[in-house]
Amino acid sequence: MRQLFKTFKVAFQAIYKNRTRSLLTMLGIIIGVGAVIMTISAGEGATKQVQDQISGLGTNLLMIYTKTEHRAGAHVRMGKPINKKDFEMLQKNSVWISKLSPLVVSVAQAIGPNGYKSIAIYGVSDQYFDILSRDLLTGEYFKEEDVKTARKVCVIGKTIKDELFLDLDPIGRQIRIDKIPFTVVGFLKEEGKGAMGQDQDDIILAPYTTIQNRLSGYRRGYDIIMASANSEDHITDAKIEATELLRETHRILEGEENDFEITTQIELQEITGNITGILTILLGAIASISLLVGGIGIMNIMLVSVTERTREIGTRLAIGARESDILTQFLIEAVTLSLAGGIFGVLLGVIGNHVIYKITNFYIPTALYSILIGFGFAAFVGIAFGYFPARKAAKLNPIDALRYE
Amino acid sequence: MPLKKVIETKKVCRVFKNGEIEVHAVTDVDLLIEEGEFVAIMGASGSGKSTFLNILGCLDKPTSGDYYLDGVHVNNLNKNELADIRNQKIGFIFQSYNLLSRTTAIENVELPLVYDRTGRFSDSKELAKKALEQVGLGDRLYHKTNQLSGGELQRVAIARALVNDPALILSDEATGNLDSKASIDVADLFVELNDKGKTIVMITHEPEIAQFAKRMIYLRDGRVLTDEIIKNRSTKESALRDLELTA
Repeated sequence: MRQLFKTFKVAFQAIYKNRTRSLLTMLGIIIGVGAVIMTISAGEGATKQVQDQISGLGTNLLMIYTKTEHRAGAHVRMGKPINKKDFEMLQKNSVWISKLSPLVVSVAQAIGPNGYKSIAIYGVSDQYFDILSRDLLTGEYFKEEDVKTARKVCVIGKTIKDELFLDLDPIGRQIRIDKIPFTVVGFLKEEGKGAMGQDQDDIILAPYTTIQNRLSGYRRGYDIIMASANSEDHITDAKIEATELLRETHRILEGEENDFEITTQIELQEITGNITGILTILLGAIASISLLVGGIGIMNIMLVSVTERTREIGTRLAIGARESDILTQFLIEAVTLSLAGGIFGVLLGVIGNHVIYKITNFYIPTALYSILIGFGFAAFVGIAFGYFPARKAAKLNPIDALRYE
Repeated sequence: MPLKKVIETKKVCRVFKNGEIEVHAVTDVDLLIEEGEFVAIMGASGSGKSTFLNILGCLDKPTSGDYYLDGVHVNNLNKNELADIRNQKIGFIFQSYNLLSRTTAIENVELPLVYDRTGRFSDSKELAKKALEQVGLGDRLYHKTNQLSGGELQRVAIARALVNDPALILSDEATGNLDSKASIDVADLFVELNDKGKTIVMITHEPEIAQFAKRMIYLRDGRVLTDEIIKNRSTKESALRDLELTA
């Protein structure tokens, strides 16, 4: 026990006396651990952000659209377009769906008082805002009345406001979309980037009737019908019900396939879950490489440091140190440096994540398991490669160790 | 009362095997060294003197023959026991000092006490200080190894060899890296320690240093060629005078 205490003292003395070498050893560990924590956390953070945004859309969302298939490299519509009849059918008969909005997309040139832009304009009904829970910053939504009478009004997002109006208040002003003047009635609250990285504020929403009549020429079909179920629990009921109703209106016989598709928010979440899963695996691979590189770094400096100290080991053996004394000393040194390096590495990782957040506004929660993996691996490599060369040196004949150059 | 036998070797041989070739470094050496002796071992390089000293210092084991150190039959000891013997009974001095770098004199001298398992020393710092005072470095206790001259470094190494109060001090070319003046100082220090009762065995290839000892053993091809008492031993004064004459 007394001997162990003395050996501890010797080990700490050795670390202190060789400050530069100790710091370099630790640096390898610090960078290895920090890199692992930051890469894993970045992957986790990205995954979480995507998931949050998808669930932010409201988990009771359903999207109904015409079935498409890949034919010769192009999307080909397979069935009847979803149309007014389908929409009214659902509106009238559905029990589980509470809100419905057609979605018609038209690409056009939009010109504001201070700029212009080519953009996709979304034709929707007044219920769309509820379905996707988009809040207003100023102004108001367009109303059922506006939709019925196909008024030339629109609600815009922040990006559109910034590009077409600069500092002007957009409410009450006009945007010319394909030469047709639309009055801005509402200005949406900023939403940020969407799940797939699209800008959710780069948006102009107008009554779908207006878009259909004025912009795309007269068009009966819709691109999508957006709907929301009464509650999250009934989303599957809503899907089954909508499927039945649509099969009826489309006169699809039993045994025949649907010519439309219904995607629920939950399914969408699952798909993006797969994508982000792949992302995490990719980042994990990068993290493993940095772990490996960090590990080799630690291994190198440990090997060099023990080799360099062979003469010292010889001296200690010659004046009466036992093999176990040498081993214990080097083990304590390796453990101390690895643990201290590991702790500083964790700090580096956590602080690094925070710095990234400050700079890019991309919030990275530090994943606990990344700390465990990074710290554990560094400690393991540091200790293993501090211990085994020391064991080899301690087993040397003292004469050979003394003569070591 | 008969003097204590510090070293007794009987037909000690050391054979190195290098593949097919056998090198007989030490052959049939019988030697008896009693307490208070001061022995110089000389010989050309390759005469086996270092190998023999390593055996005496328990750093190496004889291939055949028996070695008793201070009454202990060394042949039968295992690695740990050999380490403990080195720690308790031997003070080793090397040509290249083998001190820990970036470490103060006193810490270097304390080092053997760190590995002492007998618990016979209570205050290692005080002992180290005493040992350094004994070699004339009482004012250099907290100097680091890079702040000391070659002669001073070797004195630190000697203090380290003294600190555990060993039965035997072994010196392997202690003056090999030193200039003539510093060499004479170290040799004189050995005489002084021997006068205080320390048993010293030193290897040297310098006859003028060997002349400080009481007894000289000459090795050739691993065997003892001559073993005689030195008649007119050098003293510090006589050696310095000779140094001036040759200069």
